[in-house]
Amino acid sequence: MELIILLVVLAVLGFWVASIYNKLVALKNRYENGFAQIEVQLKRRYDLIPNLVETAKGYLSHERETLEAVIAARNQAMAGLQAAAADPGNAAAIKELGSAEGILGSAMGRLNVVMEAYPDLKANTNMMQLSEELTSTENKVSFARQGYNDQVTEYNTYRQSFPPVIFAGMFGHPLDAELLEFADSEAIQEAPKVSF
Amino acid sequence: MNFFQAQDNARRKTWQLAMMFVAAVVALVVLTNLLVLFVVGWAGQQTGYTFDQAVSNIPADAWLWTSLGVVGVVGAASAYKYLSISAGGRAIAEALGGQLIHQHTTDLQQKRLLNIVEEMAIASGIPVPPVYLIPEASINAFAAGFTVDDAVIGINQGTLDLLNRDELQGVVAHEFSHILNGDTRINLRLIAILHGILFLGMIGYGLMRTSGMSRRNGMPIVLLGVGLLIVGYGGTFFGNLIKAAVSRQREFLADASAVQFTRNPAGIADALKKIGGYSAGSFLKNEAAEQASHMFFGAAAQKFAGNLMATHPPLPKRIQAIQPNWDGSFPTIDRTQAFAPSTAPTTASGAESAFTAGFSGPAEPSSDTLSSLVIDQVGAPNQASLDSARRLIHDSPEALQEAAHDPFAARALVYGMLISTEEPIAQQQLQFIQQHAEAGIAALVAQLRPTQQRTPGAQMLTLLNMSIPALKELSTPQYRVFSNNTARLITADGHVDVFEWVLHRVLTKELYAHFEGPQNVHGRVKHVRKVARDAAKLVAILASHSHTSLDTQLQAYNAGMEALGLDIPFARQDTFDYQRMNKTLGALRKLQPLAKPALIKACVTTVLADATLNEAEGALLQGIAATLDCPLPAHLYTLGTATSQPSS
Repeated sequence: MELIILLVVLAVLGFWVASIYNKLVALKNRYENGFAQIEVQLKRRYDLIPNLVETAKGYLSHERETLEAVIAARNQAMAGLQAAAADPGNAAAIKELGSAEGILGSAMGRLNVVMEAYPDLKANTNMMQLSEELTSTENKVSFARQGYNDQVTEYNTYRQSFPPVIFAGMFGHPLDAELLEFADSEAIQEAPKVSF
Repeated sequence: MNFFQAQDNARRKTWQLAMMFVAAVVALVVLTNLLVLFVVGWAGQQTGYTFDQAVSNIPADAWLWTSLGVVGVVGAASAYKYLSISAGGRAIAEALGGQLIHQHTTDLQQKRLLNIVEEMAIASGIPVPPVYLIPEASINAFAAGFTVDDAVIGINQGTLDLLNRDELQGVVAHEFSHILNGDTRINLRLIAILHGILFLGMIGYGLMRTSGMSRRNGMPIVLLGVGLLIVGYGGTFFGNLIKAAVSRQREFLADASAVQFTRNPAGIADALKKIGGYSAGSFLKNEAAEQASHMFFGAAAQKFAGNLMATHPPLPKRIQAIQPNWDGSFPTIDRTQAFAPSTAPTTASGAESAFTAGFSGPAEPSSDTLSSLVIDQVGAPNQASLDSARRLIHDSPEALQEAAHDPFAARALVYGMLISTEEPIAQQQLQFIQQHAEAGIAALVAQLRPTQQRTPGAQMLTLLNMSIPALKELSTPQYRVFSNNTARLITADGHVDVFEWVLHRVLTKELYAHFEGPQNVHGRVKHVRKVARDAAKLVAILASHSHTSLDTQLQAYNAGMEALGLDIPFARQDTFDYQRMNKTLGALRKLQPLAKPALIKACVTTVLADATLNEAEGALLQGIAATLDCPLPAHLYTLGTATSQPSS
């Protein structure tokens, strides 16, 4: 009967470990799903920026450098997004995306400062629509990012807690997931207020 | 069979399952004890004792320990599985590798699917369930969840690629029938129960493998392992038989309901034919699919297809049940032929389908009273309710529809619904949103406000139901902020009105189940007489709020009480007291499914005593019905105008 007691104890232990495994998988799935939301919004943002630049070009013929910097930063960020979307569990890719977004944010900030000096551009309806849409997309990005970071934090906290921390490495969850922080978040907060 | 009978059957089935489980465990205990007896006897014979001598040497309490061991292992395994699925439908969808389809998806096929699900949900009066995409090439789908609140729908990629809109609608209707009939709950319990029995076999297998390595008294343990394996798999075999028998009946019923919901036998029949003609059929590659096989639209596991253990009836039988004069030929489908040209949607004619003939009832009023018409339509959407759902969705302003489908904007939409019509209070509320909601929300609320002020209440509730899946995409901290903010906005003007109460009911009911886990309410109260006081209170509240003069209120109250067969004097309720309402409904929620129609009928009778249904009345009814777990179809809103021509 020692054997039988042992069996029951082993069974209960086994279930307990299995439930840790399953919870890790579920939390990982959840934050990866959360990334899809950011992806949608960021893509939207990257689609809007070339239009904005195109509209601004006619007025800002002397500011080619600023415009080119925006486009370059936008392309960089888009490449970063593709890499991160392929594997949201890859901390390096997420970090890369974060800093690319930061650069894009400050380039946009500079563009906004430059545009201040062109009242005609300010009055352009197309421009007004685009910047309005950009603003709301910015808000959606930061909201989706907040949701994603919440889910990542939940995963990391569970992974680091005891007892899951003993098994996490064994079950293929050796590392924390990376929070998506935009390197220059100061500039990002400025960006939504495309003020004329 | 109407909604309430189906719910009651589902409840009874759960009891039957529990009994079968107990019987199976008892059988397993007996078998294992016999096994131990045999093994010990056999081992004794090897060492020179006789069989009888060896057996009589076994200590008496060994039987007790063996039995407890079996019960303990099976119990622990079932309890574990039950706990792991108690997170509801989304846990199952995630375990099957499902990916949530985001509400603002740009993929056309996915958008079409979400539209179909939304129409069907609004038509049947339940919140729109989240939809998960299963990365499998075969044609299949499933529904999972304990209640309508945590239900999810899963669809294979192959289904999206190969079916046209009518066929997809047939499949979705089939899944909705499972949700509305309570099949999904039975299915989840079945998974937990069978897991316990199967686990015994797995232990046996493990013992057999590991004990082969240890020399010391290895042979008896190997034998014990083989024996446990046989016992465990024997249990699974019978378990699967039960599962298959329960499941196959439900599949026929769900097919029939799909025809009834969509009035289009060709849709679901063609979907089934495509499974038959497609090389990958409906089988899933994911191994996790096997234990959930009984939840799928078509057979998910190839293993037992076509015999006693099959979870689904054979395809030809299902098709013939829908289209008796089907010629038996399957279309050839290959992967490249996505979006195959559809057969024109045939409208049901009496000659075409036995089902349509059998189910022609709910389309026309089966009784001349409006209230029994409503009861018939609970949980059974039909063409009329589908049409009116489509109209409700289509008529609501595009900006609001768009907001309802986006997790960011959906919150602004809900906040906006709570903004007071009195300007000073509205300004306070807007300021509150500015301070306490995420950046950009306040601007969006202000932007949507003029549109919302023009939108009638019935459409607002539809929009609220449409926004549920988007709100379920919030993270838990975001949800908590949202739910705190709604509560503060509701109480901003110092009182809670009917619309605010309904909105809060719907929101907490759907979102609480999603974020904090589904709640199981056990309906044990057999008759409404046992909760007569609460029922009278509810009818009194309804009478006081849907009629103006005391005379008509009394008349309405009496009509309602007559429908219930109760005799309690009328106590007028001057102001809407939401706390009293919640308490009353809390007590009434414990009614058994079969006791609920009488109550709903009484409520409808009371409200319709003056033969009109205005917005506030409709909203109140919907809030009550949602709290009592009876989905009222969207069609209800058109009933008020249909009173003049009831046989539409």
